[in-house]
Amino acid sequence: MVSEYGLKLAVHLITTHFGNIVANVCENLLRKGPLTLDQLIRFTELKREQVKNSLLVLVQHNCVQPFQNQQQQDAAKTEYMALFDNILHRPRFPKFLDIVSRKLDDECVELLDGLLRNGRLTLQQMADRASEGKENPVAIDVVRESLCKLLAGQYVERCPAPEPVLFPVVEETTTRKRGAKSAKIFQPPLTIEQRVLEVSVAGESIRFSLTADTGFNADRETNSDDCPMTSVEDAVKEELTPWRANFEEFMRHLRHKALIENVRTRLDEGAATILSAILDATRTAERKVKVQNSVPLSLEAIFTEVVKSENGRTMTIDRVKASLVQLGCPSRVPDDSYTIDLKNIIELARNDEVESIVLKRYGPYAYRMFRLLSKANCFLETDKIAESTLVEKKEAPRLLHGLWKDNYLHMEKLQVMASKQSRFVMWKVNKPQLWDYVLDEMYHAALNLNLRLGLEQEKDVELLSVPLDKINESKSLQKKFERRRRVRLLLGSSLMKLDDALMLFHDF
Amino acid sequence: MNGGNKRKRQDMALAVSDSLSNEERIVYNMIRSKENMGIWSGELKRETTIPENIFKKVLKSLEAKQLIKQVVNVQSKGRKIFMATEFQPSKEITGGDWYSDGKLDIEFIDTLKQLSLGYLSRQKVATVDMVLKFFKESGAFTVEVSNQNLEEILKTLVLDDKVSEVKSTGFDDFAGVPPGRVCYRIKSKIGGVREEKVGAMASIPCGVCPRINFCTPDGVVSPKNCVYYDKWLDF
Repeated sequence: MVSEYGLKLAVHLITTHFGNIVANVCENLLRKGPLTLDQLIRFTELKREQVKNSLLVLVQHNCVQPFQNQQQQDAAKTEYMALFDNILHRPRFPKFLDIVSRKLDDECVELLDGLLRNGRLTLQQMADRASEGKENPVAIDVVRESLCKLLAGQYVERCPAPEPVLFPVVEETTTRKRGAKSAKIFQPPLTIEQRVLEVSVAGESIRFSLTADTGFNADRETNSDDCPMTSVEDAVKEELTPWRANFEEFMRHLRHKALIENVRTRLDEGAATILSAILDATRTAERKVKVQNSVPLSLEAIFTEVVKSENGRTMTIDRVKASLVQLGCPSRVPDDSYTIDLKNIIELARNDEVESIVLKRYGPYAYRMFRLLSKANCFLETDKIAESTLVEKKEAPRLLHGLWKDNYLHMEKLQVMASKQSRFVMWKVNKPQLWDYVLDEMYHAALNLNLRLGLEQEKDVELLSVPLDKINESKSLQKKFERRRRVRLLLGSSLMKLDDALMLFHDF
Repeated sequence: MNGGNKRKRQDMALAVSDSLSNEERIVYNMIRSKENMGIWSGELKRETTIPENIFKKVLKSLEAKQLIKQVVNVQSKGRKIFMATEFQPSKEITGGDWYSDGKLDIEFIDTLKQLSLGYLSRQKVATVDMVLKFFKESGAFTVEVSNQNLEEILKTLVLDDKVSEVKSTGFDDFAGVPPGRVCYRIKSKIGGVREEKVGAMASIPCGVCPRINFCTPDGVVSPKNCVYYDKWLDF
């Protein structure tokens, strides 16, 4: 379930990108869950045509996924579901483009830019776009080549099924024994959103294949130049297939980057090089973005990968082993393979972010007590906390209470009836709950930054129409101009940084 | 040993109570029975049910005879706590080694922390004993600092994120320290001062805002009229 400010931020993004009407439709979908067209018309009080057009825009930009819901007994109807994550990805497009610009050529970046701006494009549309403003139209083969490169890197994917069918969940009838073992592997049931996405995405081989129907894939396409289309029918099919950016791959890339950067600051350059090599080698084996552990790899394979990188060229096998120990991975004895607890690295990074807020907002004593509780990960009594952190015993309850009031701590009162009646107050950091809370505060902060940025851009807007030489003449104009530039820079860079933190708490 | 002490105390108590008036004996015995926890004068008065004017005189007389003393309770400094002179106030009353006169000795703690940081920044790693040895040799303190006291200081430095706790491997930096022993290492070696890590949230006004829960896009407190934002963007 998306938190209140997450929702408000998503609606704000849609409003600024597509206007109020589309945002109205989107907000209803976000708040109420999947809805049919008729329900949407009723809730939004808009005209049928307006709702229809809004849905078309949202689907085109991958912010809404339609599906046939056959879960109810009555006739299946098309429902529309807002994709919160995809909406939040929109301000990240520059980051996505940057990733591709580091790996592939300018044509690929150009093509991806087109896909991000337009949501979905067919090969023909891509070619038309590439030819815009040029004397000679760009040949479709050139565009196809760029698309193949993007597909090979899984940066682009075939659009999901336009209207996948959601069947009722079949109860599992396995005769697994009840007990500790089955409790351990309990997984919460998938949400409707997860199930729809699961059925809408094509299989791996089709998803990243330019010409899946004819049986040869993107890799072969890039490798062999003389691989002509087999029939006209295939060529037509190919031209009609819509493509879009594969956000999952970009998120995986950003998660890897965050993991490596975190290890670099927490441990050292060597450990970061090893982790980077492991993640590079196993990238294609990762099935989802939020993998808990890295894919197991033998020491030999890790070493081979490490020496390929510039920083790893000088490393000996002993150095690699030492870094693996630093990264907290004991070798798995049976097959001598190593796996790194990635979830732990993410959790440490989240702790850092939260602790940094506590330090700034509540001061060094509260920070010390918070860290004690965070590390202890259990209930501790007020006096015990004050003693362990050397904080004045009378001051400690006040500080702890402040943290509790703002949802940073969990508190319980304990009444003990022994020789005399005593009351203890116990405190704890409830991490999953706190992270959800902090994430909502971050969405709130991101919304505020966006709103202020909008306001600052409206302010002094007339400055933009003043010719440059006139600005240079007047000191006050110069000052205004400079302020505007610095404010935009500060707000923009803060937003980018905050977005990294949002991903850390939501996507990683 | 303990039994011997108890006997001695009992004998002394008998000798003392012979020389006391009736009221004095009642009050003294009540105070003594509370041992190192002492008793609050209010509670004492309620339990002994002696009239106010006599009660005050009795306390004065017992204090003059040096049989009882007043101690400061860290939890409630306003309350008068009485204790028999033969007992030392418990940790609950004084607050522990770090308290003097019912107040946390912050100055002393900070000095110890600074000295520890200074020493650790010159060493690669150090155990509690090594830091203690340095303190003793430097002669910086006339006060006795115990091993446990120092460990508490180092642990708060860990919580302040200025020092990290590591286990000795016996190799490299840990040469000379038996493997498995707990060591302390400064987080940044440049002058012993660590760069403060500021998170994304903590570096913008909303991250440290005490009014964030009252802030709404079009409310009385909003990012559009926020004074913290105005200050932040005041170029």
